[in-house]
Amino acid sequence: MSTLKATNLQNASSATTNIVLNTDGTITTGANMTVTGTAVMSSPYTMRNKIINGAMVIDQRNAGASVTQSTSLTYVTDRFAIVGDVASKYTAQQSSTAPSGFINSLLFTSLSSYTVGASESFTLRHYVEGLNIPDLSWGTASASTVTLSFWVRSSLTGTFGGSVSNSAQDRFYVFSYSISAANTWEQKTITIAGDTTGTWLTTNGIGIRLFWSLGTGATQSGTSGSWGSTLYRSATGATSVVGTNGATFYITGVQLERGTIATPFEYRNYQQELAMCQRYYAKSYDVTTVPGTQVFAGEFLMQTFTNNNLYFPVRYPVTMRTDPTLTFYPGYGAGASPTAGNFWNYGTSANVASNVGRTGTTGYSIEKNTGSASATIGWQYTASAEL
Amino acid sequence: MIMYSNAQYVASSGLNVGINVEINGIMSFVPLDPANTDYANMMALVAAGELTIAESE
Repeated sequence: MSTLKATNLQNASSATTNIVLNTDGTITTGANMTVTGTAVMSSPYTMRNKIINGAMVIDQRNAGASVTQSTSLTYVTDRFAIVGDVASKYTAQQSSTAPSGFINSLLFTSLSSYTVGASESFTLRHYVEGLNIPDLSWGTASASTVTLSFWVRSSLTGTFGGSVSNSAQDRFYVFSYSISAANTWEQKTITIAGDTTGTWLTTNGIGIRLFWSLGTGATQSGTSGSWGSTLYRSATGATSVVGTNGATFYITGVQLERGTIATPFEYRNYQQELAMCQRYYAKSYDVTTVPGTQVFAGEFLMQTFTNNNLYFPVRYPVTMRTDPTLTFYPGYGAGASPTAGNFWNYGTSANVASNVGRTGTTGYSIEKNTGSASATIGWQYTASAEL
Repeated sequence: MIMYSNAQYVASSGLNVGINVEINGIMSFVPLDPANTDYANMMALVAAGELTIAESE
């Protein structure tokens, strides 16, 4: 048994080095590589990004409109939600400002110069479903390292922070990153050793919680780079976006993958990304129509008959994560300011209460009886199965 | 904090199938599924005595 020690490998006819054997065990080749047999990799080459809509392209709820942060978790672009302990400190919206290779980002704009209280936090959140993380083996001795990467741009510079947590929020990993130049896109990479303890769900519940801080007080700020059980949303001393009136912060290209390397962003095709989003949020409206808008497109119409129950089945675009919360909007005839929770009776030109007969992860059925007068009933819906 | 108000069970064929409830002021239908985030939130509020769900009509 012998060991061949070399740094560079070069074909006898080549003018330059073909393969470099790096000290960390990686191999660098300056040209294409052909594998005649089977290439076996420890991390997947496709579907490796555990983040859905990381490029911020899908915005089913708001279609690019600005959302003002509140104390309730509010979704902006699909799968990305905002919240804060005090309302109205920033807005968020899909933006067309993006780094090369992307067309969208998520933009945050501070509405004031707010001094964050010690126990307060303002965050962007993304929850990864547990069914999508069993390969990480978190909570066991075999826990895999993951790499989080994303592009950011801000009018502010300095150190920024965030954290990773489990469903029960009794395991936390604080991360930090720096933005060195104002109003310039920078890609950030954070490698996180997998958590060998704690409970990490591999069900249709929350597998991993990701937080990016836009301002966090001292109580919820900790030292970055290790796992612990204290609830932290950010790194100690991190820059507060909400602390500067008019400050901007953009993020896109978010990727969470198994392994120690941030591979190029996995840009899935649009239809595939939309379908993945629809597991958590679906609607009858066209993708770019904000729910509640007065439109014909997507409206369901059913004809009732005198004194008879009518049952009308609706299938979701994809099977949803769980039986979703349904919100109904009366049809086109209700005008520009429809009252949610109703259908529109085109016979009487009035709202009638929505009435669900059956629901499930694949669809729902309407059960309606309009009494002695037959009628045409119209409605649109949204279905939310968010984590 | 999501606000739930005016909650009432919805029945079909004599069985409760969900809850009509205003979520942050918007009337919605929440199914009786523990994995549904709104249902889980509401059950926690009920257990804490902070929400009452009326019987179906």
